Amino acid sequence: MRITHRRPLDYGDVRARNESAWLLPNDGSRTNHGLRRDMRHYAEGDEVDLVVVGAGAGGAVLTQRLARQGWKIVCLDAGPFWDPDQDWVSDERGAHVLYWTEPRSIGGSDPVPLGSNNSGRGVGGSMVHFAGYAPRLHPSDFSVFTDDSVGADWPISYDDLRPFYEAIEEELPVAGEVWPWGDPHRYPHSPHPVSGNGEIFLRGATKLGLRAAVGPVAIPNGRFGNRNHCIYRGFCLQGCKVNAKASPLITHIPDALAHGAEVRADSHVSRVLVDERSNSVTGVSYFKNGVEHRQRAKAVVVSGYSIETPRLLLLSGNSSHPDGLGNDHDKLGRYLMVQGAPQTAGRFAEEVRMYKAPPPEVSTEEFYETDPSKPYKRGWSIQNVSPLPITWAEHVAAQGHWGPALRERMRDYVHWATLGALCEFLPRAENRVTLADETDRHGLPVAHFAYSQGDNDRKLVEAARKSMEDLLHAAGAEEVMTIERYAHLVGGARMAARAEEGVVDTEHRVFGVNNLYIDDGSVFPTQGSANPALTIMALSARLATLLPEHAK
Amino acid sequence: MTYIPPSQRGLTPQHAGRFPGFDTLEQVKYWDHATAGVVLERLAVATQLAFFTAAEVAVARPLLDLLLGQDGEPRVPVLELIDTRLARGETDGWHYDDLPEDGDAWRQTLAWLEEDAQTRHFRGFSHLVAAEQAELVQQVQDLSKSGDKWHGWNATHVWSLWTRYACTAFYSHPWAWNEMGFGGPAYPRGYLNIGVNAREKWEVPDHGEGAAR
Repeated sequence: MRITHRRPLDYGDVRARNESAWLLPNDGSRTNHGLRRDMRHYAEGDEVDLVVVGAGAGGAVLTQRLARQGWKIVCLDAGPFWDPDQDWVSDERGAHVLYWTEPRSIGGSDPVPLGSNNSGRGVGGSMVHFAGYAPRLHPSDFSVFTDDSVGADWPISYDDLRPFYEAIEEELPVAGEVWPWGDPHRYPHSPHPVSGNGEIFLRGATKLGLRAAVGPVAIPNGRFGNRNHCIYRGFCLQGCKVNAKASPLITHIPDALAHGAEVRADSHVSRVLVDERSNSVTGVSYFKNGVEHRQRAKAVVVSGYSIETPRLLLLSGNSSHPDGLGNDHDKLGRYLMVQGAPQTAGRFAEEVRMYKAPPPEVSTEEFYETDPSKPYKRGWSIQNVSPLPITWAEHVAAQGHWGPALRERMRDYVHWATLGALCEFLPRAENRVTLADETDRHGLPVAHFAYSQGDNDRKLVEAARKSMEDLLHAAGAEEVMTIERYAHLVGGARMAARAEEGVVDTEHRVFGVNNLYIDDGSVFPTQGSANPALTIMALSARLATLLPEHAK
Repeated sequence: MTYIPPSQRGLTPQHAGRFPGFDTLEQVKYWDHATAGVVLERLAVATQLAFFTAAEVAVARPLLDLLLGQDGEPRVPVLELIDTRLARGETDGWHYDDLPEDGDAWRQTLAWLEEDAQTRHFRGFSHLVAAEQAELVQQVQDLSKSGDKWHGWNATHVWSLWTRYACTAFYSHPWAWNEMGFGGPAYPRGYLNIGVNAREKWEVPDHGEGAAR
């Protein structure tokens, strides 16, 4: 195996291009209040260079990059400007505030729950409550249609993203072992120690002769600016109160503020405004404290993720684009994907206590690529997951237990280890966001998300479940149980070479409207078996090198 | 240390559990205030319901007791926790498109459970013995397993609504954590001893038949 050389992480170099980790306080509190207090404020009548809608993985990176180049930017987010000390709790139920809980309705033959499963709100976006896995896509992900006659090809290649993967991996930074899969690479930080859950994974993999590796996790393993070291408390999905796990709130927003960007929180964008004569965007309208406002801008980047981005563009139609912006060819909202994410747990005589340590621990991508000997295309990855009690109750209840049987099973919690698969479900035109009859608190129609699996998808889930059962049995499990679920959202406004095939071009420009862009997971044509956060950030860092060219 | 009356120490729902003496609440002094606030609030007994009507309570209370096997004191106040949540409209951020929003779905399904009791037994749900109530509840789960409808609604979606709200409330309560050996909040303390069979000095090993099962 050839591993790309990677020079040791040079903190001076990272700090010179993104000072976020050094702008956080080092006195035990987690928020630089001075930076927020002194933040630049633009007037609504000011025509700023750029309005970014959504301060998550896509919007925050772009805001940071362009603020550094002197752009006048307002980044609007529908949710709060979080302070981990005050707003977040080390508690599963109490973390409810982190999820997008405005109404949405779900349907199709396999409805996909939203909220805690995949939808964030507030500055930092869904990465505030993501587990922390930060793998890259494989080079093969960019040519799935050419190679396997399924899904779609990306109109850009892995090599286009590679330098941006490397840059973002340093800024988060990512910790893990040497990565042998896809484009083999190293990580800037060495892997974290593993807990009982990770030990079980490694034990089973060794027994089967299956390659597995610790990581890749967006949690520094060592000092990084003023970010504190992980305390292995296991509440990654509830928002990291330690400032150890990466999210844009701490990895990109502080540097953006220091370079003059305005982050306007609690501002729900209701419409992208377009001048019909020139067919160019002029800004956005948004609700804040029940009042509708406008912000003028030369360009608008929508970074609201796979549900809210299509919804906003559907809500922004005008007489030239009656079905929504970027929807002249009926592609907006379509090809929305989730990963099939069955989770299999095994019962061990020993105590595993999987709630300790970050849920992201060990992965294998041995099943990621198409195996020509199998009756399905593409594959899956396997990673540790560590459900806390409420989520664990979902696992137990899904087996049909209730009443005393549910309680007895739940008391056995400390003996169980859990694995989760991410299966590459293929894009389907009928899996889409549309506007529902129901409205939100601002009177705006909410999103309806229809989802149905295909045959290849079902085969993958079945094969993934079997592979996890084998792993757990090899590790000595006395009993196994599986829950079928979904993870992540991508697609819905996909990138394509031509307007007839997608919503944005290879440089994220929305087809058919001038100066309108999409920069989030919704542009993915396919999804691989990788957690999407790192790729969303890498795409955003790439876009930040293209926008200045467009503005010339 | 925070004062816990002797009768309240190491409490578990219905005094069930396999971790004798283990009490998450003895760790409160090691939690941050924001976290302690939301967890301790669950211990306060709600004095007034804001969402469910009296008629709905008559059905919801036995239903929730059955779903969670709470057949005696001390009980986790599941009904009160769900009532607070529904009154605030705090959903999971989605609902099935063949069901109304969660609050209306709760009201309607409780009404149908009452209707089933009247139809089958000519008495209200609350007047049935537990075995009769359980049979009516079981029927909804059976329909959900076979993919059938209950009063015209997808039974799987109804079962999901009931169990999701019930489990979220019950397993958010520190007494439930005591029952399963889970330490609860862990900030700013974190964990020192991670790994198979590793315990913090304040954690209690499983005393059940667990290891031998």
